[in-house]
Amino acid sequence: MNKTPSFKDIFLKNAVIFNPVLIQLAGLCPVVAASTSLKSSAMLSAVAFAELIAVSVIASALLKKLPRWVRVPLYFVIGLALICPALWYVETQTLTVLSMSMKIFIPLIAINSVVAVHCEQFAVKNDVKTAFFSSAAAGIGASLVFVTAGALREIIGSSSIGGIELNLPVAFKGMTLPFGCLILLGFMSAVLKTFIGKKYPEYFGVHSSVAAKPGDELPEKEDIPAQQPDEASLPAEEKIPDSVSEEDIKIKTEEEIEEFFKSLGLDFEEKGDEG
Amino acid sequence: MSDKHKKQTAVKLSGLYGDYLVMLVAPLVLAVYQYGARALAVVASGIAGAVVTDIIFCLLLGRPFLLRDLSNVFTGAAMALMMPAGVPLYVPVAASFFAVGIVRIPFGGSLRSPFVPGAAGFAFASVCFKEQIFDYSYNSASKLMGEHSLGYILSQGKSVHLDAINVLDILSGNVAGPMGAGCALLMVACCAVLLLKRKNSLLTVAGFVAVCAVYAVIFPRVNASAFTSVFLELSSGALLFAAVFFLTDYASVPDGAVAKLICGGICGLFCMLMRTMGTYEETVCFAVLLANGFTPVINSGIGAIRNRFGKKEAAQ
Repeated sequence: MNKTPSFKDIFLKNAVIFNPVLIQLAGLCPVVAASTSLKSSAMLSAVAFAELIAVSVIASALLKKLPRWVRVPLYFVIGLALICPALWYVETQTLTVLSMSMKIFIPLIAINSVVAVHCEQFAVKNDVKTAFFSSAAAGIGASLVFVTAGALREIIGSSSIGGIELNLPVAFKGMTLPFGCLILLGFMSAVLKTFIGKKYPEYFGVHSSVAAKPGDELPEKEDIPAQQPDEASLPAEEKIPDSVSEEDIKIKTEEEIEEFFKSLGLDFEEKGDEG
Repeated sequence: MSDKHKKQTAVKLSGLYGDYLVMLVAPLVLAVYQYGARALAVVASGIAGAVVTDIIFCLLLGRPFLLRDLSNVFTGAAMALMMPAGVPLYVPVAASFFAVGIVRIPFGGSLRSPFVPGAAGFAFASVCFKEQIFDYSYNSASKLMGEHSLGYILSQGKSVHLDAINVLDILSGNVAGPMGAGCALLMVACCAVLLLKRKNSLLTVAGFVAVCAVYAVIFPRVNASAFTSVFLELSSGALLFAAVFFLTDYASVPDGAVAKLICGGICGLFCMLMRTMGTYEETVCFAVLLANGFTPVINSGIGAIRNRFGKKEAAQ
């Protein structure tokens, strides 16, 4: 019986454990290009958040039956159709003058990969309510990254925050360039993955336990002993065969694939795009 | 990793970077002779920045601090010697912090980092502190051409004749420029030391210098003879210095003679392209970083070619 996930689970998974920017590495282009200050990143966050929720809800309600190759371009078309008129309205009615850089990058937000990835992975596989909450959680996760990156870049790169001068002794202009943002995102991603690995080891526990410790220096190439599994220490049923012939792994027909999956205890069903 | 491996690694690292540090003594002495105690202060702040950064990160990560591998000392000193003597002292500190804290430690140490930490640190400083890094006005009254470096002369594209300038001044580094990297004669001497110690690594330098020279002949930036163009290009900035100290890096250079030549050639091509078309006066560190990015591609490409020819020979 399928248990409906709680809002806490949805938020935790979409905003933290599978954070769209830091874990799934989606939407990097707008973050890197446009989050150079707190104001611009806050604006981008708002636009991305609203677009993600709107497109996810529409995808969950209307696009489930369509094949994938039609759905993905539709996400972008819907995003553009929502954002461009909204921006035009905001700019003409409230007399807000957007800077040229924002005018360039906001359409970029409209077609960012966060929307496509989230809709395809989650929205079209769930009901509208769940899609709404999940997209809101993913939007919050992405927005937090946008704003944090923008604030840090402005502080370190321009020695100001939200346009207010901080008068720091040194400003590193490189942080306002794309490479600075990529480095920053790399560190933020590492911190988040470490946090998840410790707090929720069931998601990344395997990788964190297998990965080499960063403190270990690499030995000289000739010093590395050839690591062979100690066959005697393995139980009889887990011993590695001496060789696997090509015939052993060659599967020719669909029936054989089905048999293979059955032998593994899995159901083999043709699920098409829904799968 | 076992204690035995750790010990072997530390001993080999100390030997590796010890040789480089011995080679750096001569440029340091020349810098002190030309710029006085200020040169020592810049180098000391670079080394201090690198060592302190390593200590801080070791404390944060709960790792033992090993000064004896000397890689931090080398990184800080080499970067500082590529800077002008009048640079504010926080610049080498910031460059060292970037090199060690952002490039070396996160990738697992000196023998694992895919990019040369020193080159990355200098590139970072060039981007963040462009005015300070390329201001060669400190103590430049006695220099040939005053505060104008060779890179500046080349970027202006004017007519130059070697008869009009003192070649010995250029060879001995008596020109405004990086305080420890301007003396071409010292760099040739360092190459001789490398020839004795690690001759295979010189192939990268050979490929680099060859491509730079050919490019300078085909696309001269000054209205002069081909020889003059090559001479000025190779003598300007920190081109030879970076080739000797960064392009011979143990971890980021590909294996095999042909691969080393190709890597050096790619670096030379990028360096000259950026000198010709870029906005920075000193581009060799950016070129080294780009060439480092090509190292896995070169390694796998040459490995694939060898496998193919090996199979053909075996079939025959």
